[in-house]
Amino acid sequence: MQSLISRPWLWAWLAAIAVFALSIALSGASQAGGLLYAALSFGAFAAIVGIGQMLVITLGPGNIDLSIPAVMTLAGTLALKAMDGAPGTALLGLGVALLVGLGCGAANFALIRLLRLPPIIATLAASLLYQSLAIWSNRGLRIKPPAALADFATGRTLGVPNVALIGVLLALVVWWLLERGLWGRWLLATGQNPRAARLAGVPVERVRASAYLSVALLAGLTGFLLASFSGGAALNMGQQYLLLSIAVVVIGGTSIAGGFSNVPGVWGAALFMFLVVSMLNAYGFDAGARMMLTGMIIIGIVIAANARRRRA
Amino acid sequence: MTPDNDNRRWRAGLLGLALSTAALAAHADTGGAAAATPPSPAQVAGQTQDQSQPRTNSTADKRIALSNNYAGNAWRQQMLAAWQTQTAPAVKTGVVAAADAFTIGENQPTDQAAQIQNLILQGYDAIVIDAASTTALNGAVQEACDAGVVVVSFDGIVTAPCAWKIVNDFHEWGREQVDYMAKRFPDGANLLEVRGLPGTFVDDDLHQGIVDELEHYPKLHIVSSVEGDWAQDVTQQAVAGVLPSLPHIDGVLNQGGEAYGVAQAFRASQREMPVIIFSNAQDELAWWAEQHRKNGYQSIAISNAPGIAVVAFWVAQRILAGEDVPKHLTVPLYHIRQDELSEVLAHTPKGSVADQIFTRADVERLIQQARATQASAPEPSPAKAQDPAKTPSAAEETQP
Repeated sequence: MQSLISRPWLWAWLAAIAVFALSIALSGASQAGGLLYAALSFGAFAAIVGIGQMLVITLGPGNIDLSIPAVMTLAGTLALKAMDGAPGTALLGLGVALLVGLGCGAANFALIRLLRLPPIIATLAASLLYQSLAIWSNRGLRIKPPAALADFATGRTLGVPNVALIGVLLALVVWWLLERGLWGRWLLATGQNPRAARLAGVPVERVRASAYLSVALLAGLTGFLLASFSGGAALNMGQQYLLLSIAVVVIGGTSIAGGFSNVPGVWGAALFMFLVVSMLNAYGFDAGARMMLTGMIIIGIVIAANARRRRA
Repeated sequence: MTPDNDNRRWRAGLLGLALSTAALAAHADTGGAAAATPPSPAQVAGQTQDQSQPRTNSTADKRIALSNNYAGNAWRQQMLAAWQTQTAPAVKTGVVAAADAFTIGENQPTDQAAQIQNLILQGYDAIVIDAASTTALNGAVQEACDAGVVVVSFDGIVTAPCAWKIVNDFHEWGREQVDYMAKRFPDGANLLEVRGLPGTFVDDDLHQGIVDELEHYPKLHIVSSVEGDWAQDVTQQAVAGVLPSLPHIDGVLNQGGEAYGVAQAFRASQREMPVIIFSNAQDELAWWAEQHRKNGYQSIAISNAPGIAVVAFWVAQRILAGEDVPKHLTVPLYHIRQDELSEVLAHTPKGSVADQIFTRADVERLIQQARATQASAPEPSPAKAQDPAKTPSAAEETQP
């Protein structure tokens, strides 16, 4: 029991459940299924980019990827352009999106490593380039995804949204890598003390490179999924995921100082972030009150999660 | 780390930022020139040789610049393309000497202020501005006016008194949506309102129009209002989240660009499709046409045409020619009705936004109308554009 309470991810999940219950209290139990389904669908996008952001943040202070929205937009734009709505091209599109992700990740890390730029500057500057490429490549035209791909992205398997299944699968893989894999240990060690890790024989730079590649890869995948889900890539499609990707990491209980990852918390926080906006919408708060309440609730959860960790 | 080393890092960082900003600006500058698809004139027919005899001074040696604060969405791309394709003939036929478009990188008022100062130094005779801020550019705008440069702001307007202001009537946009719903549902209806970017004057104005008009129709009820930020994916998410808590929805009011997201959310919830007010995005219009074919779905599209940039261009040209143009001009909203839908769709490139072409003759008519209303109502005028109290003073960027 003690160990359960001291889990930092607990608070994100408790908050998500509480907010869910409050929404259901208003709309009636018959609507629980619909709300849960929507939360899983939209939470999946935030969870996937959040997991990527978490890997980078785990590397320690100063490590962050601000190019996530631009990578999503570029990957979504180029993938949908490559497919051009033709049937049977879904894998081609996925390949393009992942390659774009890898390329952006490599470029980000090159800027950080070769030019010795602080990651916050490097990824922000690079994101301007990616966004420009997205604008230049397609001039903002919205191309529809192939019908089969759109059906898959908006569809469900055994009552669960397909995008949520992908999100959960990815979370499980990353969780396993972090908890059981050598790479995960290296990542955590690097985040806790890069110098000690280097002296202990951890290939610190390779670990950093892999983290920056992973986040960009996941952002590319999310861009592809989101574009297929919402009927086309838009130039501003990734915008909300800049803050959201960081928020779900922090609310999820991952240490912003690095060195401690928390995969289940990211999913809990992603669900929470969707549900809290839905709840405040359902209760009819206006935009100002909604933002204030969201901010206060987030601060409350972060305080609760950190207080527990200190005591534990 | 030595301070020197630190210093170098930062310099490298700034260089990187500057480079990428320059890259962004550079490609944006080429504007519509590189656009794969020329904008498809919905009413290209009217656009013919209207380079009518200049009644006033020649502007053949005058140079006009467009200062644009943002290029990151389809509306802005269409706006730049419209500028390019509509002003190029004017340059070619010698109506003006130049009509160059400049876009800044990151929607920053400070960047745009610096850009305006550059344009003054480069000796442009008129600067047409889609502004990043209604107030933050006033210093630079005043400098331009003091230097004898004509400043015409449109869409995102500036409050500096020396600048001309060309706007759409967003309040009217809200009212018309309610009127349409009242016509469709004389016995009353539950409505869902999708709002835009909170805190912007466009969102406030449009919402106020809806609220004001609803007073005439007590049977229409807004049962919920969500925030879509004028983005389709944000809207889809917000609507999907709130739908489970809502009763039956008959109609959806919105602010343009989000209707397809609304439709997706309703489809996923397996609810009956409500009457959604559309705008000018091609994917919305195509969806509407498809529904109409399938089950006779009826609606209306209201939007602000990106071609407003061309209105601003011709206004600047008329001012340079010495004409007396009122400081406030209201550009009519762009309507697409059910019977015009297939016609408009045929002219709109896939994934783009439908646009309305304003010719020089159209703009002259607008100017005359504005002059007439000004003359007929010198006191606090009913026409909103002339009413300074109502002209919103606080706002950021306008409609996407």
